[in-house]
Amino acid sequence: MKIELDGLTHRYDVDVLRDLAISIEGYSSIAIIGVSGSGKSTLLRILSGLEKPTRGHVQVNSHDVTAPEYRKSVGFVFQSHNLFPHLTLLQNITLVLEKTRGFTKKEAHEQAEKYLSLLHLSDQTHKLPRNVSGGQAQRASLARALSVNPEVIFLDEPTSALDPVLTYEVLSAIKELRELGMEFVLVSHVMSFVHDFADYVVFMKDGEIAEHGPPAMLDNPQTQALKDFMEKVP
Amino acid sequence: MIRSNGAALSPKEARTENFGTTVAYALAIGTFVLLAVFVVMRQTRPFDLAAVLPYRDDIMAGFWRTIWVSLVSLIWSTSLGFFFYLLSASRVRYFRAFTDVFTEIIYGTPLLVMIMIMAFVIGPAFGSRNRAVMGYVGLIVYITPYMTNIFKSAIASIGSEQYMAMDLFGFTPFQRYRYIIIPQIVRILMPPLMNNFSLIIKGSALLNVLSYRELFYEVTLMTNNNFRFVEGFLLMWGLYLIITIPLSQITKWIDRRWGI
Repeated sequence: MKIELDGLTHRYDVDVLRDLAISIEGYSSIAIIGVSGSGKSTLLRILSGLEKPTRGHVQVNSHDVTAPEYRKSVGFVFQSHNLFPHLTLLQNITLVLEKTRGFTKKEAHEQAEKYLSLLHLSDQTHKLPRNVSGGQAQRASLARALSVNPEVIFLDEPTSALDPVLTYEVLSAIKELRELGMEFVLVSHVMSFVHDFADYVVFMKDGEIAEHGPPAMLDNPQTQALKDFMEKVP
Repeated sequence: MIRSNGAALSPKEARTENFGTTVAYALAIGTFVLLAVFVVMRQTRPFDLAAVLPYRDDIMAGFWRTIWVSLVSLIWSTSLGFFFYLLSASRVRYFRAFTDVFTEIIYGTPLLVMIMIMAFVIGPAFGSRNRAVMGYVGLIVYITPYMTNIFKSAIASIGSEQYMAMDLFGFTPFQRYRYIIIPQIVRILMPPLMNNFSLIIKGSALLNVLSYRELFYEVTLMTNNNFRFVEGFLLMWGLYLIITIPLSQITKWIDRRWGI
């Protein structure tokens, strides 16, 4: 995957991202870390096309992220599963495929079954989100994100709403997907996971990229900010 | 079936549990039937339901009128309630304030007072001397803010995270309403809507004060003629329960079956 930021600035009431410039190429799972309010979720949302940057250029795999068709080529998994509560896990996927991706009923069904079984949910396909565990719902959400055949999948703290057992369940699923060659950009607070999952880490502080590099940098921080951060997180 | 701690019951445990519940309900219903029998036995005059028979047609006509008036009120108050919801969600501050004040006034008013005011005060001011119709309008107006409220809570229950998901996948506005928003709202709306319907049916009994010939009026008319108060009032009570209890059961069933 290739990510290029040039003069990226984003404002809500204050600048949440300040003049970011970076070029990352050749990595398949990139983690963005930092304390709350450091701008990491905003950066993820901009990279995924969910939000338009106030200023600057952002490209992912040479696509301009502000182009309308870009959004159709990404998958996004939110902190909470964000499944539609009135639809079964299967319907949550088939609705998206049929209505927004032009699949026929049969194709959509097959595709949905395929990804639900990939995430070990074959026996849960006809349940409503409220009738499955939080981990299963989050995996279904992952299946929904995958089902549109995205180039890159963005994960925004996908386990922050889950207890440790369910967190483990979801993170294992994500690891399996990486083995299958899927590419990820994620925001996570689980440092042990970032450590052995990511092949590139971006550390953010106060809306700027304070440090970035392969995950080995976490063991040997160069900046005081990352040193402080690593001491505070478990 | 699950335990309070979330663990599932074994099939055998579930059967025992179901059996216990059924017995408990049978006993509870039995208690009320016994109470009714006791009350009937204690009357000085022998209980004779046949005394009601000559008035059968009038009472049944009253029964159907109660259902009819309630249905029409339901439709009007739902529509008005939705209109007031739109006002309450408006950008115009006056509209929002207007619905707030309206709601406060209605919530603070007894239904009987509302009906009287409509029939004898507001109606004539607008040139209507038809008290039954104005009483009817009073009932509709009274229920409207309750309807507005259920629209508010139903629409608020679709959280921002769902809109994010709709944005993400690129659903068109039509698709959002057709496949995601409306199907959810309908399900969320049904149980409280049915509760309000029950509220209307019970409230419609008050229309008798304006000589509207609904169930309560017809039964009272009979008792004034033949003095069969016990039979008449018990029959009336039963007829109201025949409408309202199935309604509340349907509501619970809908909630279990379709709830989200």
